Amino acid sequence: MSSQYAVELKDVTKRYNDIVAVSNLTLKIGTGEIFGLLGPNGSGKSTTLKMLMGLVQPDAGKINVLGLDVLKQPVEVKRLVGYVPESANIYEFLTGIEYLDFIADIYEVPPEEKKQRINEYLKALQLEGREGDMINSYSDGMKKKISLISAFVHKPKLLLLDEPLNALDPRSARIVKDFLHSLKGQGVTTIMSTHVLEIAEAICDQIGIMYQGSILALGNMDELRQRASLPNSDLEDIFLKLTGTEDLRAVVEELTR
Amino acid sequence: MNWKNVLRLLLVERKSGRLIRGTIRFRKYSENIAVAYWPYWVAALIGVLGGFLASYVASIFYSSPDSAGAPALSAAAPSFYSVLPTLVLGISIVFTLFQQIQLAGKASSQVMYWLPVTWEEHTLASILASLSGWPAAVVTGLSAGLIAFSVFNGLIIPALLTIIILLVAAFLASSVTEIVRVLQVRFTGAVYKSSGRAAIWLRLVGSLLVIVIFYSVYFYAVSGTSSFISSVSAIQNSAWYVPFVWPALIVSYLTQGLFLQGTLFLALTGVLIAALYYIAVELNKRFGLYEPPAIRLQKSGVYAPKTGILGRIGFSSVEAALIRKDLRALTRRRELIGVYIMPIIIVILSIFYSFGFGNGGSVNTSAWAGVIFLVPASGIATLLGQVLIGEEGQSVWRIYASPISAKSLVKSKFFIIVLLSVIILVMTSFIGIVVFHPSLRKTIVGIVEGFLIAMAVGSVSFQIGLKGPDFSGTRRQRMVRQEWSLIGSIIGVVTGAGVFAPVFVQYGLAFLTNTTVSTSNYAIGVVISAAISTAVSAIFYKINVNAAESFLRKAET
Repeated sequence: MSSQYAVELKDVTKRYNDIVAVSNLTLKIGTGEIFGLLGPNGSGKSTTLKMLMGLVQPDAGKINVLGLDVLKQPVEVKRLVGYVPESANIYEFLTGIEYLDFIADIYEVPPEEKKQRINEYLKALQLEGREGDMINSYSDGMKKKISLISAFVHKPKLLLLDEPLNALDPRSARIVKDFLHSLKGQGVTTIMSTHVLEIAEAICDQIGIMYQGSILALGNMDELRQRASLPNSDLEDIFLKLTGTEDLRAVVEELTR
Repeated sequence: MNWKNVLRLLLVERKSGRLIRGTIRFRKYSENIAVAYWPYWVAALIGVLGGFLASYVASIFYSSPDSAGAPALSAAAPSFYSVLPTLVLGISIVFTLFQQIQLAGKASSQVMYWLPVTWEEHTLASILASLSGWPAAVVTGLSAGLIAFSVFNGLIIPALLTIIILLVAAFLASSVTEIVRVLQVRFTGAVYKSSGRAAIWLRLVGSLLVIVIFYSVYFYAVSGTSSFISSVSAIQNSAWYVPFVWPALIVSYLTQGLFLQGTLFLALTGVLIAALYYIAVELNKRFGLYEPPAIRLQKSGVYAPKTGILGRIGFSSVEAALIRKDLRALTRRRELIGVYIMPIIIVILSIFYSFGFGNGGSVNTSAWAGVIFLVPASGIATLLGQVLIGEEGQSVWRIYASPISAKSLVKSKFFIIVLLSVIILVMTSFIGIVVFHPSLRKTIVGIVEGFLIAMAVGSVSFQIGLKGPDFSGTRRQRMVRQEWSLIGSIIGVVTGAGVFAPVFVQYGLAFLTNTTVSTSNYAIGVVISAAISTAVSAIFYKINVNAAESFLRKAET
């Protein structure tokens, strides 16, 4: 596998007992891309992100992240990656600043840089003044902001973001989107899973639609439109058509009966 | 009152306390009834055996010529029965309160607050949930014992009456604990609100004080159960104005055929329960949904990172961060305060027994002095070793997702084990010196051996923590799977005994030859102990690093 790609998965399969979460997935994501991973619930998006992070081991296949084998060099991979999980289970007995301090130390960020970066992010995401509070008193949105800062603070080369904009207020969501764009300019690759199709459409260079553990369609918006034979359509229509759930009227009628 | 709602809430509340632990490898959850309800059937079994034994002892006693002057069994037994409601009430309050202390750190599910459930239903379900814990197990055990005893002695009617009143006493106790629970929620909130770091220390010290008081009372009561029962029996008739003895008085009067008095206290007990229930409902209405405000530890403003002493003594940035995080957890998370209970129990027990409570006044100070030097530090090393991985809980993904090497993980966690064991060792040694006045030689040997045992036991126990962590975020978070905890405790005892053996052998030899242990023999024993402890720690350091590597690679399991 060459390292011109930030991420390469080859024939990756992951099973949970009798459920196949990811099936023979082969995917290459170029350096500096913002890649959107879409799909219905249970389609294998989070499992794929976790495998890239080394949190879940595949049953078959190879995974290369930033030129490193995730299975052989997990610590080295983690050092280069920023990860935001879907649910923000973070140390609630720490204050926001203590948590970020902990993360920056774990990634061995030099003290002066640490101070500067944390303060900048806190200010940008409007957490200034609340950083000294225990995390257990934060709202879901504030916890998500802390999770995002903890993913950015060590200047990773790859960002793996599972539903990163969930629970964020519009201003913060916009800041994060713009920030991801500016990171792309610096060669940082972002892989994000999301259910908010407008966001994927607006900021992703490439979109992969997952369904039942496999990539159903892959490409930029034009390529996806072509694939779905839906010229001038938005991502929602394409998504629903490709995942076979476009005929929603009957479902709604059934529910309202 | 919707009784179905009460029943549903009760079932959910009870089930939350006994959910399966560890990794859920299957999608369907099925519960083993025998395992789920083990406290009740074990209590019943013990009760039946105890009842039969008591019946057998009574038959021997009453057939003996010495028993000629004793009251008839039909008169003596009901007098004993009448003590049981007070006993159940006391035990139920103490155990349920203790359980509440353990649960206080966990956020309870607020689902019931979104549902169309009245405060009356919620309060009753909560009281019944408390009742169905320890109180029900105690009542089950005593009831089984009463029936087994009474059926052979023609005392079945007083026994059945006592069983009913035991349930009343348990309900009374659970109502009291419900009131305390709500007030505790409110008080905790007030402490949260009052200050920042001071709140954390106040909470820690307050919790430890409660534990000290609780266990002092508990051991005082159980260190001489027979004298406790006779003293309760003696005072409860004269203390009729204390509501907590009313259930006992019902049994006492009714078994004596004094129906008017019995009915009066039955009515009074009914009124008391109704009043307590009303107070609990009102308190729940007012404070049940109390949302603690944020703890603020730092003033807002410019953030200044600290380098800290840990970096200066040779820990890497990663290791120092992990150590700081765990130290904060051990002072802030109430469910972790449980690790301090064991040393407290040992200290209280040592002091109690050294003063002759529960053993007829005879004092064996040197044995208890040994216990106070050797056991608390190694005990906390065992506990910490077992829980320091599992305490990461649902946030363990942070460890998995961070660039933490196995060596750093083991080093930082083991440092916490050693640090806290040493702190406990210093504190308990100080208490040991003050209470038992051991010689300087024994003091030095005690402290050194305490440290060596803690080192070895801590490193072995950490292996258990890595093998069987419990990350489930259930309300009664155990942090280590029960089967591994049991295995770890046995291995810990064996390891500790192995490390201490060289010194113990010296004592044995001196005892056999009727001499005292010489300084040189002490030194030989301690040196061999140190060699064993160092070898065990070094071997298990390598084993732990390998286990940590495997642990970090298998994030999904």
